[in-house]
Amino acid sequence: MNPLTQAIMSGIMMGAVYAMLSIGLVIVYQTAHVINLAHGETYSIAGSVVATVAAAQVLPIWVAILAAIAAAIVFSIAVERFLLRPRHAWSHNALILITLAAALFIHGVLYTLIGSDAVSFPRLVSGAPFRIAGGALPPQGLLLVVVGFVLALAVPLFLSGTPLGRQLRAAAENPDAAQLMGVNVDRARVLAFGIAGAYGAIGAVLLVPLVSVDFHTGLDMTMRGFIAAALAGMSPLWAILCSLGLGLGEAFVTTYFGTLAKDPIVFFILIGIAVWRSRNIRFGGTRRA
Amino acid sequence: MKPSRIVLAILVIAGIVAPFTALIPGWTVGLATIVYLNALSAIGLNLIFGVTGMLALGQAAFMVVPAYCVGILDNFGIPFFVSVAAGLAVTLVLAKYTGRLFVRLPGIYLAVGTLGFGYFVEGVARGFPSFSGGASGLIFERGRGIGDHFWYAIALIALIAGMFIYIRLVRGAFWRRLRTIHHDELAAAVLGIHVGKTKERVFLIGAAFAAVAGLLKAYYVGLAIPEDGGVDRSLEQLAMVMVGGPGYFFGPLFGTAVLQWLFVITGYAQSYVLLVYGAVFLAAVLYLKDGIAGWVAKGWHELERRLDGPKTAVTTVTAVTAAPPVAANLAQRGDLRRSGKCLEVSDISKRFKGVLALDRVGFSVDFGEIFTIVGPNGAGKSTLFNIISGIEPPSGGEVKVAGNDVDSLSISERARFIGRSFQIARLVPDLTVVENVSVRLDQIAANLTESQRLATAHEQIASFGLARVADTVVSKLSAGQHKLVDLTRAAVGNPALVLLDEPAVGLTADELEHLKSLLLELQTRGSAVVIVEHNIEFVAEVARRGIVLDGGRPIASGLTTEILADETVREAYFGALL
Repeated sequence: MNPLTQAIMSGIMMGAVYAMLSIGLVIVYQTAHVINLAHGETYSIAGSVVATVAAAQVLPIWVAILAAIAAAIVFSIAVERFLLRPRHAWSHNALILITLAAALFIHGVLYTLIGSDAVSFPRLVSGAPFRIAGGALPPQGLLLVVVGFVLALAVPLFLSGTPLGRQLRAAAENPDAAQLMGVNVDRARVLAFGIAGAYGAIGAVLLVPLVSVDFHTGLDMTMRGFIAAALAGMSPLWAILCSLGLGLGEAFVTTYFGTLAKDPIVFFILIGIAVWRSRNIRFGGTRRA
Repeated sequence: MKPSRIVLAILVIAGIVAPFTALIPGWTVGLATIVYLNALSAIGLNLIFGVTGMLALGQAAFMVVPAYCVGILDNFGIPFFVSVAAGLAVTLVLAKYTGRLFVRLPGIYLAVGTLGFGYFVEGVARGFPSFSGGASGLIFERGRGIGDHFWYAIALIALIAGMFIYIRLVRGAFWRRLRTIHHDELAAAVLGIHVGKTKERVFLIGAAFAAVAGLLKAYYVGLAIPEDGGVDRSLEQLAMVMVGGPGYFFGPLFGTAVLQWLFVITGYAQSYVLLVYGAVFLAAVLYLKDGIAGWVAKGWHELERRLDGPKTAVTTVTAVTAAPPVAANLAQRGDLRRSGKCLEVSDISKRFKGVLALDRVGFSVDFGEIFTIVGPNGAGKSTLFNIISGIEPPSGGEVKVAGNDVDSLSISERARFIGRSFQIARLVPDLTVVENVSVRLDQIAANLTESQRLATAHEQIASFGLARVADTVVSKLSAGQHKLVDLTRAAVGNPALVLLDEPAVGLTADELEHLKSLLLELQTRGSAVVIVEHNIEFVAEVARRGIVLDGGRPIASGLTTEILADETVREAYFGALL
């Protein structure tokens, strides 16, 4: 086995998941100007729901998957509709704190549901792994890479290429003006949160059979998604590339320095982002993004 | 001694003795010790988050870093006090640079950056088992020999010392500055507050509280594990501040005591605890703006009123009679030139994504002159104000204030020369009128003592006819009063240049008269005043000269009487208005 090709393959797989997560954060940020710290919970909710239903072995797996995606979408929209919308006048930090509290609440719910141990469910596609240049890619991984990047790439196309997508962006840039021009800003936000929820859930459905999920995976996922989105300057197309880079970078670190180095390295990437972002700050650090 | 003080003393003593009695189930000496130490760290987070409004999610990480440092050095046989000093120093350096990196960026970056710091600390503690003990943790032997009651005393003394330091530090000018930053960073910078530096300092002080508390806790418990520095513990700290009442002095103690006690009586390991904890946190964020301390404070004030009778005169009133000459001195300060040109704007252009918002605008304003900028909506007046005060960089051209080239100065550095009001007043709602005005004096008259600054603020407020509301909290004022207070704040301390953004909008006829006399007052004190205004009659009455902008271009300048009569101006301006 060749560690380099293996690292590249798992890097691309993780990159596909991060791409789906960061694209969700970006589309929500673009329409509602909030970084949703509860975003990664859509991943852990969906993963936990499928795992729980699959373990019961009464319903077919595709029913479990549909239920999981629906649950994630409902949660994501509920954050917008019931937590954020009534408090849109609150300060930026207060809104971020609300999403963090929602994430913490979901940690509690999932802990009650699945306990402290990681859970998983059988792969959707089985079969022998593809062996390429000394690396192995399970069919499930290939499915993940293809679906992940296709869905992620669909978002920038949707935002710039369709009337509905342009309305979403208009709703973000100037909500009042957009409202006057007939764009339903509230509906645009619900749509954005809904898409984000669905993407987080699909990411979980595809990845959890390979790496399993526990009750606080969500926050890790939010952080990875945020890092990719922040590296990309909140641009959807760049977010996909940065996710791929993040996935590959993490895979290399894990391969050559061990799994324990994965979390510390995240902090160094964050430092890099902060330094990079700080170059624009001229006026005593009072500007907002 | 007032009756309320006696009640307070009894309550404090009862609180200290409580763990030795069995009156509250589960509230043992051991639990109280942990509560005091966690509360000490939460005081720091309260300063960062509750008072200043920075969302920091790494407080627990700053608790374990010194513990690990000291523990590891101690194991290497380095003298204990040397390793304590080194451990605290390492923590403070880490806090300083983490703060410097993240506090100037938008709030989410500090939140995620500190979250990442927690992952980093936890990961490193786990990743070097030969030094740190890995997942099973690092053992601290030295605290073992000390009895529980002795530890209780140590924790109590540390907590009281921490509360004492906090209350000595976070008051007066520093408190006002932090509340202003919390409410509105841009307004804070325009008032002359170095927002970035102040936030950095607050973050460092907050981390120092965590460091001391964490070190004591590690030696008390006798063990530090990687999870102690992780995200969950940091969020717990945040929950303690939230539930206790962010920004309240007793908030951290109340929040920590209640939450930790709840953990114990519900059983920390029970599977529903995390759910209850998440629900409590969410509810606190959504509905409990002032936390437990908010309720207690309300009840306490009521009790105080009943026990002590109505409060007597406010102390600041005596200060006013004591120190009126200060303001006069301030007006005649020699360091400001008061003749010739005050503001020189030359060839200023501004481009937004290809749209030319300002096209080579130039004018100058003398000291002691009132100058006006008029033009229809979107003419670029506000952009011009923002460029002069440093909020936006110009695409070309330069600005001089009182002979100083200000292009390279930040908003807060320029504020030394420039006082500014806003279209919609940006005051701190939970501070009084005097406090709001004093914030400005804190920045530009730092050589005065606290009481002199308050006295000067009182005097200025009185001279603008607002004496009646001087000690009123701003959120209780009318819209017109907001406007006048904002104006007072812009004018206090006689800055060389005063920028007023639509000062007459929303004022009653009486308030408009106030405004006129205020402007004349500023003029006689030698300040240059620039007004952006829609009320043409008002402008024509107070300003001698002015400039007319249309679509970013200057279309006329000169005496107000002449430019307002000009045909092209009437067409551009009044045409647009109709």
